[in-house]
Amino acid sequence: MTELWQGLIKAIQLIVTFDPEVMEIAGRSLAIAATSCSIASLMCLPLGSLIHFSRFAGKRLLINLLQTLYSVPTVAIGLFVFVLFSRAGPIGGLGLVFTPIAIVIGQALLVTPIILGLTISALSGVDKAVTETAISLGASRFQAIILTIKEVRYAILTAVIMGFGRAISEVGISLMVGGNIKGFTRTITTAISLETSKGDIELSIALGIILILLAMIINFALNRLQQR
Amino acid sequence: MSLIETINLGQQFDRRYVLKEINLKIDKGEVFALIGPTGAGKTTLLRLLDLLEISSSGTVYFDGVDVTRSQRHRLEARRRMSFVQQKPIVFTMSVYDNIACGLRWRHEKDQTIRQKVESVLELVDMAPYSSRNAKTLSGGETQRVAIARALIAEPEVLFLDEPTANLDPASTAKVEEILAHIIREQKTTVVMATHDMSQGQRIASRIGVLMSGEILQVGTPNEIFCLPSTKEVAEFIGVENILNGIVIEKDANLATIEVNSSIIQAISDYAVGDRVYVIIRPEDITFTLAKDTSSARNVFKGKITRTTPVGPLVRIEVDCGFPLLGVVTKKSAEELELSIGKEVYTSFKATAIHTIKRWNQ
Amino acid sequence: MKKATRYLISIVILLAMLVSFIGCTTEEEPTQSKGSIPSGEELLQPMERLRVATTTSLYDTGLWGYLEPIFEERYGTELDVLYAGTGIALEYGRRGDVDVITVHSKSREEQFIAEGYGVERIPFAYNYFLIVGPESDPAGIKEMTPEDAFKKLADTGTGSFISRGDDSGTHGKEKAIWKGAGYDYEAIRQAEEWYIEAGRGMGPTLLMASEKQAYTLCDMGTFLAYKGKIDLVPIVDKGSILLNVYSAIACNPEKNPKVKYEMANNLVNFLTSPEIQKLIGNYGTKQYGVPLFIPCAGAEPQS
Repeated sequence: MTELWQGLIKAIQLIVTFDPEVMEIAGRSLAIAATSCSIASLMCLPLGSLIHFSRFAGKRLLINLLQTLYSVPTVAIGLFVFVLFSRAGPIGGLGLVFTPIAIVIGQALLVTPIILGLTISALSGVDKAVTETAISLGASRFQAIILTIKEVRYAILTAVIMGFGRAISEVGISLMVGGNIKGFTRTITTAISLETSKGDIELSIALGIILILLAMIINFALNRLQQR
Repeated sequence: MSLIETINLGQQFDRRYVLKEINLKIDKGEVFALIGPTGAGKTTLLRLLDLLEISSSGTVYFDGVDVTRSQRHRLEARRRMSFVQQKPIVFTMSVYDNIACGLRWRHEKDQTIRQKVESVLELVDMAPYSSRNAKTLSGGETQRVAIARALIAEPEVLFLDEPTANLDPASTAKVEEILAHIIREQKTTVVMATHDMSQGQRIASRIGVLMSGEILQVGTPNEIFCLPSTKEVAEFIGVENILNGIVIEKDANLATIEVNSSIIQAISDYAVGDRVYVIIRPEDITFTLAKDTSSARNVFKGKITRTTPVGPLVRIEVDCGFPLLGVVTKKSAEELELSIGKEVYTSFKATAIHTIKRWNQ
Repeated sequence: MKKATRYLISIVILLAMLVSFIGCTTEEEPTQSKGSIPSGEELLQPMERLRVATTTSLYDTGLWGYLEPIFEERYGTELDVLYAGTGIALEYGRRGDVDVITVHSKSREEQFIAEGYGVERIPFAYNYFLIVGPESDPAGIKEMTPEDAFKKLADTGTGSFISRGDDSGTHGKEKAIWKGAGYDYEAIRQAEEWYIEAGRGMGPTLLMASEKQAYTLCDMGTFLAYKGKIDLVPIVDKGSILLNVYSAIACNPEKNPKVKYEMANNLVNFLTSPEIQKLIGNYGTKQYGVPLFIPCAGAEPQS
């Protein structure tokens, strides 16, 4: 209990004094998760609409596959991305391994099934009559699709929030692909893993508290956006 | 030339005929009510007329143009019509935005949109609801928004699919009032489906009776009401005295019809030997305690088998050798002391009888 | 109007994130040749970054943290230090994902060079391994030779031993001692509960050993650096086998053309330069009372 208490005090201390290293890794965690989430969302929204509104063989299979990928282990993705971008690997020429960009790519891969799957789920919940009504009122097919998406904007935003939560709290990818380099690819989660293994439990707890706070603030802000 | 005309229109679904050989003409400016029981095919017919679906057989003309197959013509024609569904879908946005949708999709100017939306909101008496979230409206309010949404496109034809079927009486009255107002002001052609015969009578200038996918009769409300052309129509509109008879004598247009073992005299076009249904409206039957020596040709003595109060009226069922149903005011029933077992005289005029050809035994 | 404020807020949040992203990819003390905000090109293709994979003991002692800013300022390049472990470091070197490795496993280093992945093996510092353990010394191996101590541990099974178990240099040394004591390493691994494989870096392993009051093999530098955090004392500290030599190897550009060979050489030279050698020799004296490393400027030290 004393450890937790000390951790809490340390957390407050670090926040109030704007400890530069903590600010840096917090900012990095946020920036990387936000970027990867944005990229994934930008891709998944049109892709999800396309999948939902089209008819093709194997559609059911594809959706089931996506749903199984919701809980893909982060280390698996981390390993995969590492092997891909390692200089010895197929896309090694870009020299992206051990850079924040690689983490962004890895996290984008991580959250894509979630955002895509939940977007399709959300769209499926819309009464087919909505699209029909829109078209009968003069909307083009494209305009009708945009309207349908707007009808479920709440649910889609939830999908994005879930994706963000998964991204900001993962360690496997950041560690394997980023290398936990101080000042460059160290995030809150990798810092926690490092500090714990080095024995600085107090600092780890403090960082953990800060991470939770960060996630809560973002969620809160996004929820406010939802409640129009 | 009619605005909408169908020739032998038919619609199949899974090899089953939902609509068969529909021949209809809708004239510009008229209010046409399509009445029939649930499942008759009213919605399907409306959707075909609004060109939302393609028929499996027959032709549809809109303003003289064949729009049955040509995609381009259909689209053009459809733009001039609007449809209000039985359970309208409103989008998750304000009432204003819901109504403005269609105009925005057509890229109209904000200024124009504002004017049009506000004026149509006035028309349906929903102006104070402009910024309310449309999903929070009651059934009647949603229906009015749907009507407004349909009207804003200034359609030439307005289709309404059972607009008050799911509403309570107060909301129904409100919607009917608004429809009547719109019809007066805008002179839009209206085609309305309803299962409520009296609504058709109240609002329409012409009625079409659709049953089991076929149009059984088209005519003014009065014609349908007083002169149903088939037994099915008669039953649907609520006539309850439908007797099996056969014409045994004919003198000019006066027919003598044998019903069970009684003789009824009616004005009819049918000839001797024709099997007919004798149709008498309950309101046309008069009850007396003594034999009525008035001009009524048909007088029968019978015993009351049942009395049923219905609001301010009382339904009297009598056995005169054939079953007869009449209706009187409560007051009359009390004055005449009409009760079960009482012997009364029923009388009705020959002109009050409507005969329809009978095909069965 | 409500819509506008919503969009505004989202844009502000996005901007803030972008700014923090950009700001966070810089070091706290910007080097002389660059401004504090790196160009877009640098974000995507970090050209001025040198990567060194290091054995954990050099990191856990804080030596790299100490030397990093000095190197960065002098050579105007960003130094990325990856906390690895000899095994992983060598693998990164083979893949060309790092430019320099600093490890401490002579035999494997020589093989690395023989395979052509490294250019030359340059020892730059050394110290000694120790077998550390609980003060109570349950196995009674104090002051024995390393090989005898291991023998006693294996034979009696009193007292636990925590192995690095991670293919590191330290782990390699441990395996060498088992071999020297006449044991087949695989047999030891299958042994009962007294032998524990940690699978972690040196610092973390020490903490685990302290927690469990067990024995472990540790380099002097890390032990001294962690002294205040652990409850262990040196048990065996004499034996020629305990020599621990740290070398720096620049990765061979012939195997991996992407390797920044020139800057890698700069780092190697840096580590063996007289000025830095002196700093390495003095490192830790103020804090721990004794130096953690003994410099050896490129020459192989004798035990």
